[in-house]
Formats: sequence, structure tokens, C-alpha cells
Amino acid sequence: MRGVTTFETMGTVVSLRGATPEAASEVRAVFAGYDHRYSLYDPSSVLSRVADGSVRLADTPSEVRDVYALALDWRERTGGAFTPHRPDGVIDLSGVVKALAIRDAGAVLDAASGGGDWMVNAGGDVLVRGHHRSDDPWSVGVVDPTHRDTVVGVVRLEAPRRAVATSGSAERGEHIWRRAAPTFVQATVIADDIVTADVLATAVVAGDAEDLRRLTSDAGVDVLAFGADGTVWATPGARSAVRTEDGAASAVT
Amino acid sequence: MRARVIAGGVVSSIAVLVVGWQLGGQPAVTAPAQQSTTSGSGTTGTSTGTSGSTGTGTGTTGGTTGSTGTGTTGGSSATGTFTGDTTQTRYGPVQVQITVAKGTITDVTALQLTNSDGRSVQISQQAAPILRQEALQAQSAQIQSVSGATFTSEGYTTSLQSAIDKAGL
Amino acid sequence: MIDTARPTRPTPRHSGDGAVRGTLPPAESLEVAARRRRRAGRRRNAVTDLLGILAWVSAAGAVMLWLVSPGSHTVVGIGGWLTDAGIVAGLVATDLVLVMLVLAARVPLIDRTFGQDNAIAVHRSLGKPVLYLLLAHGALLTLGYGASAGTGPIAETIALFSTPDMPLAYLGLGLFVAVVVSSLVAVRRRLPYEAWHVIHLLSYAAVLVALPHMLSVGSVLAQGTWQRVYWIALYVLALSLIALYRFALPLVVTLRHRIRVVGVEPIAPGVVSIHLAGRDLDRLGTEGGQYGVWRFWTARTWWHAHPVSFSAVPGRDRARITVRDLGAGSARLGRITPGAFVSLEGPYGLFTSRARTAPYLALVASGIGITPVRSLLEDTDLRPGEATVLLRGTDADQQYLWHETADLAEVTGSRLYTMVGHRSRSRESWMTEEDVRRGVSLRSVFPNLLQADLYVCGPRAWSDLVVREARLAGVPEHQIHQERFES
Repeated sequence: MRGVTTFETMGTVVSLRGATPEAASEVRAVFAGYDHRYSLYDPSSVLSRVADGSVRLADTPSEVRDVYALALDWRERTGGAFTPHRPDGVIDLSGVVKALAIRDAGAVLDAASGGGDWMVNAGGDVLVRGHHRSDDPWSVGVVDPTHRDTVVGVVRLEAPRRAVATSGSAERGEHIWRRAAPTFVQATVIADDIVTADVLATAVVAGDAEDLRRLTSDAGVDVLAFGADGTVWATPGARSAVRTEDGAASAVT
Repeated sequence: MRARVIAGGVVSSIAVLVVGWQLGGQPAVTAPAQQSTTSGSGTTGTSTGTSGSTGTGTGTTGGTTGSTGTGTTGGSSATGTFTGDTTQTRYGPVQVQITVAKGTITDVTALQLTNSDGRSVQISQQAAPILRQEALQAQSAQIQSVSGATFTSEGYTTSLQSAIDKAGL
Repeated sequence: MIDTARPTRPTPRHSGDGAVRGTLPPAESLEVAARRRRRAGRRRNAVTDLLGILAWVSAAGAVMLWLVSPGSHTVVGIGGWLTDAGIVAGLVATDLVLVMLVLAARVPLIDRTFGQDNAIAVHRSLGKPVLYLLLAHGALLTLGYGASAGTGPIAETIALFSTPDMPLAYLGLGLFVAVVVSSLVAVRRRLPYEAWHVIHLLSYAAVLVALPHMLSVGSVLAQGTWQRVYWIALYVLALSLIALYRFALPLVVTLRHRIRVVGVEPIAPGVVSIHLAGRDLDRLGTEGGQYGVWRFWTARTWWHAHPVSFSAVPGRDRARITVRDLGAGSARLGRITPGAFVSLEGPYGLFTSRARTAPYLALVASGIGITPVRSLLEDTDLRPGEATVLLRGTDADQQYLWHETADLAEVTGSRLYTMVGHRSRSRESWMTEEDVRRGVSLRSVFPNLLQADLYVCGPRAWSDLVVREARLAGVPEHQIHQERFES
């Protein structure tokens, strides 16, 4: 088992497992590239210059416009709960950029390891390949939004579910632009790909119970959502992650 | 219509209906189906009683808690599993099953009675409220990562993730 | 004026464009023949009754499907009652819709025992009740699910709309409403026939489009149950009958016999006889008095199908129909050129000697109504004195085919009367003023009326008056046969 590599990027910390040093530095470069292009905290990034008006969106590199189009597509699919538009009109693509970076990092790791197992965790969003050990899936703990040193459940990632993303207001404050009075303070989404997981997690926290119902109405994702009133909502797949060990109910996925 | 047709039709129809009545009358399936959701309706005690009022529209309803099921009854010392009446929803019949320990409801489950077609996938995929008691202490030997709201670099150092990373798990 | 028949004269029988007809009638007395026919009639009635009972039982079967579904015996609350009522309404309504489709499918068994026109009459009578049941199904379920889930009807409808297959169900309901509304007498009168027909064909779409939601929503027809198999089998049966008898069989008949127009002969102002040629037309199985639904494949007439009686029994390679100019559609028939290809659905109809149960035969025809009567006369093996014919016409222009009919009457030894003149104005009657005053009645024309099968064909209002008088005179209902053209 190769060791754990960590590095800082995008204002958070990325943990890598299963990567050779060369692969790790390539992954680092991937994140740096996205950060440089899309960070609104860096005044020289493309998106910052669009925000302050010195560059028109139409003149940005096609990759930037593609990411914007992707964000708009997700806005449609989540009924507006997820949106790249801040209330002040600035285009904020941070909602998809981190996930895209994780996705591209995953491609790099696949190429480098040639089918080996790996795990990428970027500030709480996780993408894996394979298993932790031969008979042990990668396990990700879900943090209790009110007690960040407590884990309320363990998600065991088995293909095709390879990605876990959590969105919430606990850590960085109100960075999610909400449509309605907050219904959910944290949402963990387990999906087949990291972009879906990340976007839907953001959408659930930004939306309300109706959004949660709509987003879970097909069988594409599992969601564990913590309501502002203290109730926890879980789809059956997510429910098995929080079951107590004595198996009080079947809830087999 | 001719009298003979009416008479014959009525007689044979009644026969068919009687046969149908005899063949039917089975209660709804009592074993929990593969996928079950929980319903907030009818929970008392520890749940904060949202009971579906957030409008998820899952269609599981206030099936009154009946007295079928195993377990001892009797006021506050009731323990066991109880199944309520069947309610028709657009997904098919749904029955609510509650687990009671010493007078407190510890679990509420909606039994899916039609679990072999796409409808039950739809309803059972809905996120439903669960009781909050299940909190595990971080069994750090068992997880390699945690997922929570994104932590800052500063926040990382005091986070679980940092502990796990340092342990090299 | 009523003329008495001409005396019997041996002349070759005219089969209207075909070979001379065959053998002499067997030496059977009238009573024996009548007894045989009554037996056949009883058999027919038995089959008809059986089919009717089958239809009832199928509706009961639909209710039974719900009775055997788990949990149906315990109904919870007002929501449960509404929901279950809605489910049952839907099941029964759909079953009856399938019955309606089969009635209109022109199944030969139904035509030969019950008559296509009676089948269509039953089909029509089911239309509105079934529509009400379907609307009730939708309303009750919306209210029932809503009551159970605590949502209002509008919210519940919106929720239902997001359930898969439900939008299709709403579409099916809407199509059915359109079909029934367009068939209401008041509306149908204002629609051109083709427009009404196209809308009516939407009922097939309605039935198909509504099927997915029956199989996926709710639990009565859940997967793996015999109820689901039964339901799908019903659908398959009904649609197969339609596919076979409404579409496939006519296609085969058309292609096999290759009918073509060889001549269009005006025989009176506004009336033409269309002479047809084809292969093996005597094998069509046409009985005298039957009709077919004809389509003439020319640029201007291909999209209009006409129900027209055979005005003569088809020979091996010849046939004839006679049409009156009744409006834009049929007027164009007069201008069809020889060589046009013709497609035929049929022959249909129970206005034939197959339907006889009595010893004697009374035929009454007016105007264009003479066509099936003439064919019937031609096709029946008659003993002298067995049949009496009364031909009615307003004036000389309404006497087409009368000579042929008179010849047929001579050859068969039947009595023939004619009545020419406008209908009586002093009283509501099918007779002329003069004959009303003379005291003529059906019984005076047909002395054996009560032991005769009465066949009436002509303009609807006029023939209704004849039938009414017959009923008042005491003729049993099963001996009265009235030809109404339906499609």
C-alpha cells in the first residue's frame, strides 16, 4: 500500500492514496491549473477578470466556456437549486471546478497506476478506484454537521458508486447561495461520478425538501441529508451507511 | 337487451364476484420487502416529528398503528413490532410497521408491498427521515477518509481527515 | 294505387350480371322449412345470448381482479374508499371499452348471429356510460390518493403527472373524450363523415396509450400476477380480432377478388348502378340482402368509404351495386370511370333469408331500399305463394329496378304489389293518401303477416312507420327485419 500524500490547493487540502510521487505531482498540477483559471480569490485568474469586466466571457478560452455551459446544464437539471450565478451577478464556477479537478486527477491516476486502486479526497469530496484492500472497499466516514469530530456513518464505496461529495454550511460559512430558507444544513451525495455528486450535494443544501424529492426520484444517487430542524433524511442506499452494527432493520441495498 | 342475457349475465357475474371475494381477502404482505423507507408519520418520541409535512409527497400515509404483529402490548411497556393498516397509494398498497421498545418508538418502516416493478424503486428511492440516534464514534481503523463540508486549510489541521491521513490509513 | 301482381310466367331468372342461377327449390313444405329455420334461429339466439353473457362476465371479471388483489378487503378511511372505487371504475370501464372495440370489429360470428347493425347500436349505447366511468376513475383516484396523502386535488394531479406513464393515461382519457364528444348526435351531424371517422379512429390510440399506466401504477395488475397476464391477454384478444377482421380480412378479400368498375349506368335521376367485375365473386359468400363497405380508388373518391347493398347476387365474375345520390360523397360515385380499382370490406349484414324463422316472407321496399330486397328475393329459394313483395315509390323516377323485381316475383310465384304516390299528409303514414283512405294496411297487403318474416328497407323515417304498424299489428319482434346502413 503506497502512502498518503497531501498538499494544499484551492484553499483546502487534498489527500491522495495509492499514488506514486510522479502521479502525485501530476495531480497537483491538475489542481493548480484549475485553481489558477477559476479561482475568484486570485485576481489574475480568468474568471476574476471576467468578474471585474476586463475580459468578456465570449473571449475566454473554450475550456472556460465549456465549464460554464456545464454549470448552466446542471442549473437546468436541478431546477435552479444549483447555479453558477451569484446574487451579485458574478459567475462563480467553484461549484463544479473542484469536482472537475478531482475527475481529471482521477484520469491521471488511472493512467499512472494502470488499473490500480487509489483514492482522492479534496476537502471532503472523494473519488475512488477499486478497493482499499483486496476484500475491503474504500470507506468514507460522513461527518456530523454539528460535531465535526464525530462520524455519523460510513459509506462503503462499491462500483459503480465511486464518488462521495458533501456540501454544507458548517465549515466555510454561507457560501452556498440559497433560494429558500435553509432546509438542509448538510447533504452527502453518493454517486457514480464526482461532478454529479458535488453538484447535487450543493443543490440539496441550496434547495428545499421538494428539490430533494425531485433529485432523488430516479435511482441515480444516494443522499444523506441533515435538516436544519435536526431530522436526518436518507435514501435506502445511504441508510445502510448509518445503520447501527446490531442491524436493527434489514435495509439491504 | 333481452331478458335471458340480463338474467344469465347477472347470475354469472355474481358467481365471478363471489369467486373473486373468496380468492382475495389476503392481508397485505407482512414481510418487509427488500427496499424499505421510513415514514415520519406516526412517530412519537425522539423524532422531531416532521411527519412528512415537508411535502415530499411520497404518499405513505398515516396508517393508523394497528395491533397486528409480535410483541407484548400494554401501555408504556409495549415492546415489539406492530403493523398498521394498509393504505392505497399510487405506488400500490403501503403498510406502516413500527418497532417499539418499552413504549418508545424506535423505528418506523414503510413496507413496500409491490416491490418488483419500477414504482417501488421510485418511492423507496425517496429520502425519508430517519431517527437520529445512530452516531458512531469514529472507528478510525475502518475508514480512510471523511466527507463533510469542505474544510479550509486551517480547518484541516484539526479535522478528522488530518488524523486519518497522519495515521496513514 | 295498388296493382295486383302479374300472373306467373316462366322467364329466365335475372341475376343481374351473372350466370343464370341454379336449381329449383327442394320439395319441402312451408311448415317444415319454417321449423328448420326456427331451430337455426334458436341456435343463433343462443350464441347471441352467450356473447352477451360473456360481455357481462368480463366486466365482472374486471371487478374480480380488484377483489383478489392483496389488501383490497380492508378499506381504510375515506381516502381508501375513494381510491378503491376509482380503481374498480377504471377496470370496468376499460373492459367495456374492449367490448366496444370488439363489437365494432366486424367479427363474422357477431355479424351472422347478431347482425352488424345491432352490434353497432350496442356499441353506441355503451359510449357515454363508459366515458362517465372513465372520468369517475380519474376523479375518484385523484381525490382518493389526495385524501390519503393529505394533498389537495390540484397538487395531487401535479404529482400524478410526474409519475411515469401517467401523462399518457391523461392523454388517453382526453382522446376518448374527443371520440365520444364527436359522436354525440348534435356534433356528428355537423362534422363531415370523414372527419368524424378519423377522430373515431383515435379510440385505438386512446386504448393503447392508456395501457402502460395500467401495468405500472398501482398494484392490481402487478408484475408476476395472473391478473396481469389475464389483462394483457384481453388486450391481445381484442386487438387481434380488430386487426384480423377489420383490417386483414378485408385486405385479403380485396386482393383476392380484384374488383374493378366496368360500367356506371344511370338508371334514374340521381341513381346509378355500378357494374363490377372481379375474380370468383361468387365465392365472396354474399347472401342476398347483404351490403359491403366500398372504396373506389380514384383521386377524388379514395378517402370515402360507402356502405352499399348488393343490388344483385354476385355471379362468378360480375357484381352490381346501386347507389343513390345522397350528397357530395356519393354524387362523385356517379362520375367514376370504368377501370377504377375497388376495395371491399364485407359482405356484412343479417338482412338475409338466414335470419328467417317464419313460414312466409313479406318484403317492403321504398326507393333505394329496393336494392337489398331485390337481392334477397333473388337469393331465396321460394315456393309459390311463400313471398309477397310491396314496392313503394313517390313517383315514376323512384321505380328503378322494379321491373327486375317483378320478373323475379313471377319466376318464384310471389305476389308483387306496387304503391306509387306521395306520403299521406292527413295522417302520419307510410302509405299514400289514397291508400290510407281506402283502408289499406299491412295486414291487408300481407294476409299472413303474423306468420311471416317482414323485411323493410327504405328511408329511415318511412321504414320506422312500417315497422311501427307491424308491431302494433302483433308481429313478433324477431320476425321484423329492418335494414339500416351503418359503418
